[in-house]
Amino acid sequence: MAALVLPAGLLVVLLLVAPMLLLFRISLNRFSPTELMVEATTAQNYLQAVQDPYYQQVLLTTLGIALGCTLVTLVMGFPAAYWLARMESRWKSLATIVTLFPLLVGNVVRAAGWMALLGNEGAINAALIGLGLISAPLPLLYNTGSVVVGIVAVVLPYMILTLAAVIEGIPRQTEEAAANLGGRPMTVFRRVLLPLALPGVMAGCVLVFILCMNTYASAVLLGGPQFKMMAPAVYDQFVRGNNWPFGAALAFILLTVTLVLTVLGSALIGRKYRR
Amino acid sequence: MGSLVLEALVKRYGASTAVERVDLDVRQGEMVALLGPSGCGKTTTLRMVAGFITPSEGRVLIGGRDVTRMPPYARDTGMVFQSYALFPHMSVAQNVAFGLEMRKVGRAERDARVMEALRLVQLDHLADRLPRQLSGGQQQRVALARALVVNPAVFLLDEPLSNLDAKLRGEVRMEIRALQQRLGLTTLIVTHDQEEALTMADRLVVMEKGRVRQVGTAEQLYEDPADPFVAGFVGRCNLLEGRVEAPGRFRTRAGDLLLCQAGGDAGEAILALRPERIALRAGGEGPARLAALTYLGAQTEYHVDFGATRLVVIGATPAAADPLRRLAAGDAVTLVWEASAARLLPAAA
Amino acid sequence: MTITRRAALAGSAAALASITAGLPGHARAQGGQVVVGTWGGDYGELLRQNIDAPLMRPKDIEVLQDIANADPRKTKLLAERQARRGTYDVACLSDTDMHMIGQQNVFDTIDTAKLSRNGAIIPALRKPYAVPHIYSALVLLYNPDKMPKPEGFAAMLDPKYRGRVGFSDILYSTNTFAAAMAAGGAFDNYEPAKKSLMDLRGLDAKVYPSNEAVAAALKSEEIWMTPMWLARGFMWQKAGIPVKHVVPQEGAYAIVFECGVPKNARNKDNAYTWLDASLDARAQTAFADRMGYLPTVTDAALPPEIMQQIGLSEAEQQRLRAPDYDYLLKNHAGILDFWNKQFKG
Repeated sequence: MAALVLPAGLLVVLLLVAPMLLLFRISLNRFSPTELMVEATTAQNYLQAVQDPYYQQVLLTTLGIALGCTLVTLVMGFPAAYWLARMESRWKSLATIVTLFPLLVGNVVRAAGWMALLGNEGAINAALIGLGLISAPLPLLYNTGSVVVGIVAVVLPYMILTLAAVIEGIPRQTEEAAANLGGRPMTVFRRVLLPLALPGVMAGCVLVFILCMNTYASAVLLGGPQFKMMAPAVYDQFVRGNNWPFGAALAFILLTVTLVLTVLGSALIGRKYRR
Repeated sequence: MGSLVLEALVKRYGASTAVERVDLDVRQGEMVALLGPSGCGKTTTLRMVAGFITPSEGRVLIGGRDVTRMPPYARDTGMVFQSYALFPHMSVAQNVAFGLEMRKVGRAERDARVMEALRLVQLDHLADRLPRQLSGGQQQRVALARALVVNPAVFLLDEPLSNLDAKLRGEVRMEIRALQQRLGLTTLIVTHDQEEALTMADRLVVMEKGRVRQVGTAEQLYEDPADPFVAGFVGRCNLLEGRVEAPGRFRTRAGDLLLCQAGGDAGEAILALRPERIALRAGGEGPARLAALTYLGAQTEYHVDFGATRLVVIGATPAAADPLRRLAAGDAVTLVWEASAARLLPAAA
Repeated sequence: MTITRRAALAGSAAALASITAGLPGHARAQGGQVVVGTWGGDYGELLRQNIDAPLMRPKDIEVLQDIANADPRKTKLLAERQARRGTYDVACLSDTDMHMIGQQNVFDTIDTAKLSRNGAIIPALRKPYAVPHIYSALVLLYNPDKMPKPEGFAAMLDPKYRGRVGFSDILYSTNTFAAAMAAGGAFDNYEPAKKSLMDLRGLDAKVYPSNEAVAAALKSEEIWMTPMWLARGFMWQKAGIPVKHVVPQEGAYAIVFECGVPKNARNKDNAYTWLDASLDARAQTAFADRMGYLPTVTDAALPPEIMQQIGLSEAEQQRLRAPDYDYLLKNHAGILDFWNKQFKG
């Protein structure tokens, strides 16, 4: 058994752990405008990032967007997942495929679609102006709202499919029993469905939260130049600033915050509902 | 507790009809069984009573109140599901308390009633367990307690015994019946098991393909089936196609002449003759020959060819000295029955 | 650092080429391939039409374009700097970027003996580590229907034009230069931009994610002014966008698009063949005609009507200088930081 697992394990180490270690090593180096990266072992990059009010704000924005999007996705995804899970007809597999459909399109292409829809000369503004409802285009693009819309559209299928898989495992009779005993729909949801779906809610939220924390394309394309999240900031440091050590430090801060919050959140929700 | 009335209840799914005009009146304290093969519409009918399915036509009245358009939570029925449908994340006590909480029963009274209900099903010592820590029979009893604790107007049982092993089934059957009678519960039970229905229910409703074939007591259904389906579904029965030649004379399709009840018009009919109503004697000059026999312990089942007509006969296994014990396939036998036992039923439509 | 499909294809083609190279009869023929890291869109298309097809294919050299924006290309060059074999045989970058990457010891010193067209290069554009391909001037584009012709970058700070100045986010360094010059800065002093950029921010200056978004904003007349390359202005004008240009009186720099050969290029001979072809007079004229860039060779003739639009007068040429590369190299991180954190923040 061990012999069978070994090659895959080595591959994981090679493809996952090794680049991370390399990135960590880079984050301890020093940046010089002329030489770019100088070998060093310093925590300077981390200190600089943590103390800089700008990056504090970027991290806060990222956290806010990620938490907000996770919540929105959960609220939107639960009814859809429930509907999908409780479907009995032959349309079910079709509905599942339709749910998966957005994942076939890359994030960038999808964001471009939103731009075509929300832009000043986009479909919505063109329609509203054409109908004479407004005279100047509404600023639908390049704000928090457009970023949230873009991200939610990306991560919603993950939430729906994760939740649906768990809800499918909850017998319909359990809900019927609760209704039969006098539970109104919201009570049945709160007292029976939600607690039983909690493993799915947790898995979906963790998955979506991690995806949201690492949002790049939606933030850049739909948030516009003024909108800053962590992943674009990391890219900025690596690619525009050529400051690899600082970029690597930012990447590790993002990774650590995501990891800590994910673990804390799961533990907290888990404790509240475990019995 | 109240009565339960179903008025011309119909449920259609697109072009197909699951339930076709069901009328039923369950009196207060009465236990009625919906009996039939799978797909006969009995479960659909039960679910329309509980409110999980909305009827296409007709009305459901509980205690005289029209609940046809009411959601399940407003109907005041207590249902025991085939799968029990216990809440896996709640303890036994919490499961039982759920319905009382929904009814805003105060904590003290709630606790008392939960314990009382659990005592009723002899599970008060397991109140803090989770459902998955219980055996199948215990889970079933929790489901009973949970449905009963709220004093529902109507008690609904959906194949409550089908997930229990054969030995437990008999015990639980009697427990449920005893409980139902003690508490005077107006009860509708769905089952495909005729023995279950016969032993538990005051009256039975035999359904087939969405229609009610006959409503009656166990005895009525057994002794006086309305049609060949009921005769065949409730108990075993020799059903022979043929025609009435003269009063008391029935000619099978194969051409053999049999004794049957008087009355009944001449013409196409089906003769229904219960296997245990035929007496078997060894020897005889008639056309009856023993084709096969199966020893069943207390009883023995004989397959007899009466001319070209095959009849099943069931009798108490004869004593060792009885000449019947020495019968073997091919032996000549004589079959005897009372004319009134061979009932004439309308030929299948 | 994604590997494009094109680059992946290049790998297998290279293997094939190395086999055929060993066969008798192929000893003299140049053949093989060359990987050019460049921009896509019109630029890449013009390279294909005017260099790859007419000049390289007859020599049996297959040109593979590895298309990306400048930033990823710079990052790839830096990342591969220690590698034995790099992705690119030729890398195209702007002069400022080329200088920065050149400082990291990435490029070969150009062996001018291998370039038959070496003599035709405009002397002022010569660099030891790169060959100039085309160039253009930094200008201020303005909407002539909405405002009188401005004198220079200082017009951006005029409160009359509140909300009418737009910047392309990717040109943060150039925009900072323009803002510095508008407020008395110099080629080696961008400090005044710190105040003038914040003033511009106070005047509701807009920032767009790309040059194309700036073009759209100019077209809808949402903005009236932007610092931009003259060549872009020429193309936008052709596309019906209402802009004219002014070479700012404060002074501005030329942008030269240059091509270098990385030290770890796999097909250096072919790289030089390609560089030589890029200096071809007809190819250079084609870029001027389509994209409004000026030739970097002395013998490429421009049609008079085009010359009139993109050519520069003697007086205008006086205002143009090369950027201070060393100043930019040292201050690049600070410029980007200020742009991100203060101006946009």
